[in-house]
Amino acid sequence: MKPAPFDYVVPETAEEAVSCLQKYEDDGIEATVLAGGQSFVPLLNMRMARPDVVVDLRKLKTLKYIREEDGVIAIGAMTTKREVEESELIQQRQPLFHASTLEIGHLQIRSRGTVGGSMAQADPAAEYPAVALALGMEMKILGTDGERIVPADEFFITYLTTEIDSTELLTEVRVPVLAEGTGWSFQELARRHGDFAIVGGAVTLRLDGGVCTDPHIVLFGVGATPVRMTAAESAISGQAPSAELFAQAGEQGAAELESPMADVHASAEYRRHLAKVIIKRCLLEATERAGGSVS
Amino acid sequence: MTAKIPQKLEDLPSSEPRWVGKDVKRIEDPKLVTGLADFIENLQMPGMLHCAILRSPHPHALIKSVDASEALKHPGVSAVLTGEDVLKWTNPAMTVPDGWGVYCLATDKARFVGEPVAAVAAISRSVAEDALELIEVEYEPLPAVADAKKALEEGAPLIFEDKGSNVIHKRLFTWGEVDQAFADADHVISDSFRWNRLGANPTETFGVVSQWDLLENSVTCRGAFQSSSHFALGRAATFGLPSNRVRIISHPHGGSFGGKGGARGTDIAALLSRKADGRPVKWIEDRMEYLIAGGGQSWDRFYEASLAVNADGTMTGFKVKLLDDIGATGEGFGAISAAKPLAVFTGNYTIGAAQYDMTLVATNRLPQSPYRGMGPPPHYFVLESLVDSAARQLGMDVSEIRRKNYIQPDQFPYIIPSGNEYDSGNYEACLDKVLDMADYQALREEQAKAQEAGRLVGISVVNAIEPGVFDWNAYSAVGMPGVGVPEGVTISVDVMGSITVRVGFSLEGQGQYTLAAQLLADYFGVEMDQIRVVHADTASAPPHFGPGGSRLGVALTGAILGAAKKLEDKFLAVAAGLMQTEAANMEMVDGWLRIKGVPDAEMPMAAVAGTMLARSDLLPPGMEPCPEATSVWTAPGRAEPDEEGRCKSYLTAANACHVIMVEVDRDTGMVEILKYFVVDDCGTRLNPGNVEGMLHGAIAQGIGAALLEEYVYDENAQPLVSTFMDYLMPTINDVPDTQSAAMVTPSPFSPLGAKGCGENAIHLTPAGIICAINDALAPLGVAAKEIPASPNRLWELIQSADYPQDK
Ligand SMILES: Cc1cc2nc3c(=O)[nH]c(=O)nc-3n(C[C@H](O)[C@H](O)[C@H](O)COP(=O)(O)OP(=O)(O)OC[C@H]3O[C@@H](n4cnc5c(N)ncnc54)[C@H](O)[C@@H]3O)c2cc1C
Repeated sequence: MKPAPFDYVVPETAEEAVSCLQKYEDDGIEATVLAGGQSFVPLLNMRMARPDVVVDLRKLKTLKYIREEDGVIAIGAMTTKREVEESELIQQRQPLFHASTLEIGHLQIRSRGTVGGSMAQADPAAEYPAVALALGMEMKILGTDGERIVPADEFFITYLTTEIDSTELLTEVRVPVLAEGTGWSFQELARRHGDFAIVGGAVTLRLDGGVCTDPHIVLFGVGATPVRMTAAESAISGQAPSAELFAQAGEQGAAELESPMADVHASAEYRRHLAKVIIKRCLLEATERAGGSVS
Repeated sequence: MTAKIPQKLEDLPSSEPRWVGKDVKRIEDPKLVTGLADFIENLQMPGMLHCAILRSPHPHALIKSVDASEALKHPGVSAVLTGEDVLKWTNPAMTVPDGWGVYCLATDKARFVGEPVAAVAAISRSVAEDALELIEVEYEPLPAVADAKKALEEGAPLIFEDKGSNVIHKRLFTWGEVDQAFADADHVISDSFRWNRLGANPTETFGVVSQWDLLENSVTCRGAFQSSSHFALGRAATFGLPSNRVRIISHPHGGSFGGKGGARGTDIAALLSRKADGRPVKWIEDRMEYLIAGGGQSWDRFYEASLAVNADGTMTGFKVKLLDDIGATGEGFGAISAAKPLAVFTGNYTIGAAQYDMTLVATNRLPQSPYRGMGPPPHYFVLESLVDSAARQLGMDVSEIRRKNYIQPDQFPYIIPSGNEYDSGNYEACLDKVLDMADYQALREEQAKAQEAGRLVGISVVNAIEPGVFDWNAYSAVGMPGVGVPEGVTISVDVMGSITVRVGFSLEGQGQYTLAAQLLADYFGVEMDQIRVVHADTASAPPHFGPGGSRLGVALTGAILGAAKKLEDKFLAVAAGLMQTEAANMEMVDGWLRIKGVPDAEMPMAAVAGTMLARSDLLPPGMEPCPEATSVWTAPGRAEPDEEGRCKSYLTAANACHVIMVEVDRDTGMVEILKYFVVDDCGTRLNPGNVEGMLHGAIAQGIGAALLEEYVYDENAQPLVSTFMDYLMPTINDVPDTQSAAMVTPSPFSPLGAKGCGENAIHLTPAGIICAINDALAPLGVAAKEIPASPNRLWELIQSADYPQDK
């Protein structure tokens, strides 16, 4: 389990990194950026990733920040999950994002793994991509032509694939603060604490005049990317919360799934069932957090 | 001649033992936990090369050709090893039963995914792995045998063509009038069970540095070896060398649990060294190699079993039909763990007749290796599950049916139908103690309330015997020869009175160096830090086996006390000479040699040892100047088995009773362990803290077995588990706080009355968790009969129940 030979460069700035990547691209050289290494280094060691060059981002300290700007929390791509976990700003202003952070691996993983890395890795069972979709986050991407902003629902393309081009860098993740009165829930079912979820859910909703409004229901672990459960969302929109309604939303959500993944831990059928369970549980919890009660 | 050694703590030559029986901190731990022990990966040797192994991606394939010429040209590569070399230089591995071994590299065909096909020695592991990519192997894939049942099918592909069948071993044992017992029984409880493959996963995988001495034609292997002398014999046979031309130097290792394996890696590294002009060659197994092709897979069993029970709950007969998938070859000695249940076949019970119908087969899965417990854990899963089914059928409480069938204290020593003898115990007292500790009545009330609320909460009460101190005769059922397993030590006292003891095994984490120091410190009345325990390699150690079969604590105690006694006798003779009296008038107490009944007529042990080495003029005639003694212990009273496999095999029979409460999430099939209580009795507890450590580690492993761990293969025998994302070990979040207490019924047969306790709760935890799950599922009318009880499996069971869902 040793990597194939590769060259190694450590740019000083994001701009330098991007121009490096562009140069390699132009020369037909395959380059991959390295952030916290928690996903990439195992792939490298198993020789499943075989880039010619590894571009290490460790010196890009300017991409390490968490700050609030006009109702949006801007997080530098190189910020570690541990820093998110310890951020009071995030704990108070975006509790869903905070709660999901605690479910990622273990302390050691969170201490090295970065926010940008998790988004760029786009693991279908990972927490952050699902939360990005549920909260409508935005990704700031830097190329030699400058920056562009990609909303989460256009960012995740398929299994381990995002909008980031091989010459680009994800520099910032923009997280809307949780609006006052929004109920939320983040839950996952995993074989053990700290494992990637078999199925997980990220949910937000509001209660207006006793009915559910603006529901966002996102599941992860069930397909190639996190999925927004639109049928389940419309099933509850404008309806008074109830256990039956949420069970029904679960049914609808589960039926909506195309073909859930199957692996050694869970068959497709079991995953589909868990999707039902998670949707219902998340909706119940989110309703409670929104100040509602469930009949 | 064997020395007469103390059988009880009071017999030690000490006015009051200060160390033995006390919760002594382990002397080996600082090195192990800081990583400063000389683990094999830390070893650097001049000129050392690094080995990487090319492995078969096919479960079953003919090897048409291997072209390593490009690899050999790769910069940094010193040697490449292929099937041609091993055919020339080696023999197939020894196996039990005989004749199911292969060469260390596949020569004609590959029989499992991960089987070594070629290997490279280079200046670094990275370069060696680069070179592997240049080796071209032409395979012709063959149809594979994916599991034990398929191995028996008509027309199944043959793993060894010359055998004409995939059956490695088949034998039917009948003990007592078993058919009669079943004919007479009021009830016969029958069921099928499946125990899926799992096994040891030590923190450190296997590693080795092998070196071939080209002038002497000898091999020296340094590495993480569990049983050095045994391993040396295997290497000598493989290399066709005289046994004294193989030297095994064991390094401290980061755990083993039976999973160190390593024979192939050791041989491959040695042969590469031979090809590389005798330069040392290091091979460190990585975790993927370990999980796919290492020593970590055990017990892959299908069971059909029946219990004969009378209306009053008396159990009279037990029949077990076992089909075990040993894997592609017999090299990991997997078969012997199918034989070990003979030592405890009928558990804690007075069941008078039994039958064991075992069929062991070869498939294209990885060869099985030993794992802590070595076979009985699945057997207890079957037995205890059937006992619970019987209780349910008879409307008895699970604790009462057990109580009714216990072997009673006055029946010991007790010979079970399968031939082994249990030394001592008090099972009912153990049961009462744990029920009391758990407040069993209150637990049952809590369960009833939870059930009323629609929750699936269950409780189990299970018990087992841990066979302690194995003997080779235990495995004669599968063709293992021999009686007696020696364990030897040499104790030397130097001219300053410092004591060094040489043992034949290295650090593995069980705390035996501490035990050696405790025993000697008490025996000679010194502080523990005056004792130095050192590892002796196979070139210098007395006969030994090392850890395994829950034996080393007891065996080491026997050896240490035997050698100490011999030394004491020498000291008494020398001191008697110095004090001008007879040795018979002398005694040694707390390290002082004195004339009995004469105050102040005494001298310290150190002075006597010093005199022996420095004043030959003062020694009695015939006394050598040698304050050193060797003793080799083996369990007394072992013999060859009779024609039905019956013999006294394991010397001691520790026992334990667990009470477990679990909850199954009806929606998800996920299990939470709510409460866990244990009372165990392993006789004299030589170091209680150490026993506790054994208990808690074994419970964790048992939880892994019951709920998490499984080597999954697909229908073509491709392993689907290759990392710790697939093979789930329990973590601190999965292991509950356990309440435990001890009973002490000393063994009448073992040194100081200690019983083997190193395998411990792994015997019982899997059975206990499954029984608790089944108690929880009982209202649904379904039961889990497959291990691990993964959420997916339990969910399917719950789905199959005739019960309103999603309430
Ligand atoms: C034992 C273990 C358990 C884990 N459990 C979980 C879990 O439960 N949930 C979970 O979500 N994750 C889990 N992970 C993965 C972990 O969260 C990783 O940290 C994360 O997936 C990647 O972040 P990283 O900073 O380590 O990125 P790296 O591994 O360095 O990179 C990952 C990928 O992203 C790319 N990349 C990284 N940064 C950028 C950037 N700024 N711009 C463009 N591309 C970039 C890299 O090129 C690479 O392809 C686990 C990992 C381990 C080892």
